[in-house]
Amino acid sequence: MNRASIILVVLVLALPLVFAALLAVGPIEDVYAFPARILPSNVEWTNFSDAMKRLPFIRFMLNSVVVACCAATGAVLTSAMAGYAFARLNWRRKKFCTLLLIAALVVPAQLLLIPQFLLFTNLGWVNTYKPLIVPAWLGGGAFNVYLFWQFFRTISRNYDDAAKLDGASHWTILTRILMPMSKPAVATVALLSFVYHWQDFQKPLIYLSDFQTYTMALGLRMYQVTGGGWMNLVMAASLIALIPVLVAFLILQKHIGAPKIFNHDVPKC
Amino acid sequence: MSIQPSSHDTRYAIRLLLPWLVGTFVLVFVPMAASTLLSFVRWDGIELSDANWIATDHYELLLGIDDKQPANDNHPQVAVPHRSITEYTLARKALWNSLVFAINAAPLNVAFALFLAVILDTPLRFIGVYRALVYLPHVLGGVATILIWSWVFNPTFGPVNTLLRFLYDLLDPMVGMLTGQGTSQWLVPGWLSSETWCKPAVIVIHAWTAGGSVFVFLASLQGVSPETRSASLLDGASTWKRFIFVTLPQLTPAILFNLVTGFAAAMQSFNYSYLLYNRDQNDGLLFAVLYIYRCAFEPPYRIGYASAVACTLFVILFSITGCLIASGRKWVHYET
Repeated sequence: MNRASIILVVLVLALPLVFAALLAVGPIEDVYAFPARILPSNVEWTNFSDAMKRLPFIRFMLNSVVVACCAATGAVLTSAMAGYAFARLNWRRKKFCTLLLIAALVVPAQLLLIPQFLLFTNLGWVNTYKPLIVPAWLGGGAFNVYLFWQFFRTISRNYDDAAKLDGASHWTILTRILMPMSKPAVATVALLSFVYHWQDFQKPLIYLSDFQTYTMALGLRMYQVTGGGWMNLVMAASLIALIPVLVAFLILQKHIGAPKIFNHDVPKC
Repeated sequence: MSIQPSSHDTRYAIRLLLPWLVGTFVLVFVPMAASTLLSFVRWDGIELSDANWIATDHYELLLGIDDKQPANDNHPQVAVPHRSITEYTLARKALWNSLVFAINAAPLNVAFALFLAVILDTPLRFIGVYRALVYLPHVLGGVATILIWSWVFNPTFGPVNTLLRFLYDLLDPMVGMLTGQGTSQWLVPGWLSSETWCKPAVIVIHAWTAGGSVFVFLASLQGVSPETRSASLLDGASTWKRFIFVTLPQLTPAILFNLVTGFAAAMQSFNYSYLLYNRDQNDGLLFAVLYIYRCAFEPPYRIGYASAVACTLFVILFSITGCLIASGRKWVHYET
């Protein structure tokens, strides 16, 4: 396929964001102009700062950054630990644990929501970030464990043996040798769980009731509810809210499957 | 060669596995059993002593087998505002909506992702940048982008209908010549606020985030064996024939994988419904997970009933997934 068709597809995919950007920099009259106008009649950069002043935007942003970073750290650490055990250790009931892992992989998350809510309520965790962060520190999801397991399998055991001769413990081998060698896996798990917790709307909706503790996803919902009349500011807020995800993506994407997925060579024919 | 489990390894493995094991039991398997049990109970989730065992009453009501209210009902039936529709009809409608959405959205996403993967599978300069750009919507999909899309589909001011009106104007003379009546009477769809058009609109929004599956396809396109490719070239196969008969069969495992995971994700989608459903207009966007959420977390908290709807949703999800995987024996081509 040629470059032109790829660029066309990318442009079509970018259209909604372009519409949002054009709306975000324009005055409110443009939003309800009929017939609709494409370019804003007047560029008002103050929309962005206005949008951030209407609601505690910075606060929502910080809350989200704290939740998503804490959760992503936990997910990477605990799923790498479990992945190491699966890939490198031989223990009794390993077959049973493998079965558990596969079973946990197919259990739909929505089925667990109500009992988890009852559990966290009884622990007194409502209106704290614990229901959002603690599950990530408990294995970080079966898929991430599986990903680390499969990635560690591709690394030669000779490295482990050499380290063992030097007296390294399993913990040292995991944190000093295997994790640094598994950058694609670490980056994938980190990005997936950061993005998941950044976008997550349902769990904050259930567990957070205090306005000041709202994450960005919930905060944007407040813009939708309270901001029907200032659509341009809603768009401006939505666009700013995309920036941290974009930054996380740009930082981590060059590591994700870098050798295999992004720069492979296809034989010419 | 398998090595005998050593007690040293076992002790160490337990330490490394502990967080995951605790998480799996406390947050996955126990809740799963609890959900099933709760669906047989009438309970508001506050005092455990208030829970009433009502066996399969919830399911009978949901399936419409038994339309009576359970005896000593301590939860008044929730009135559905502005509409003469019973609670259980609404529950069935919500399950139906999720099913219709997932059945349409999942295959469409797979087809779109396959198309994107095929055009991106070329050794161009900057191809990594294009791939990242195609993946981006998948990462950005969330509350922010749903709000943006809800504007794109705004019936009066949104760009989609503006474009449609423009096309109508273009077609006006031609249609007027053919039928004697111009396009001035043609209506533009109400999209998210219309019963008929809300699902196509949400399916388009969902298709926009297909980038995640693109990467599974790109990875398996690299696995397409060069030998079969060269052989088909020698036999004089055209590009299109080569794609259908050589490349596509080798992608079928990835297609099945994306179909199954995409279907499960679509059946469980909540955000579209929560942000776009307007209960005063129509129920076309009331998805099952939103209905479950409303029953469980809005007064009168009906934890048992919500669990029953959730279990019903997952029986449907598992049976369709099972059928998909079983049908895979017929059409999925595994390397031998």
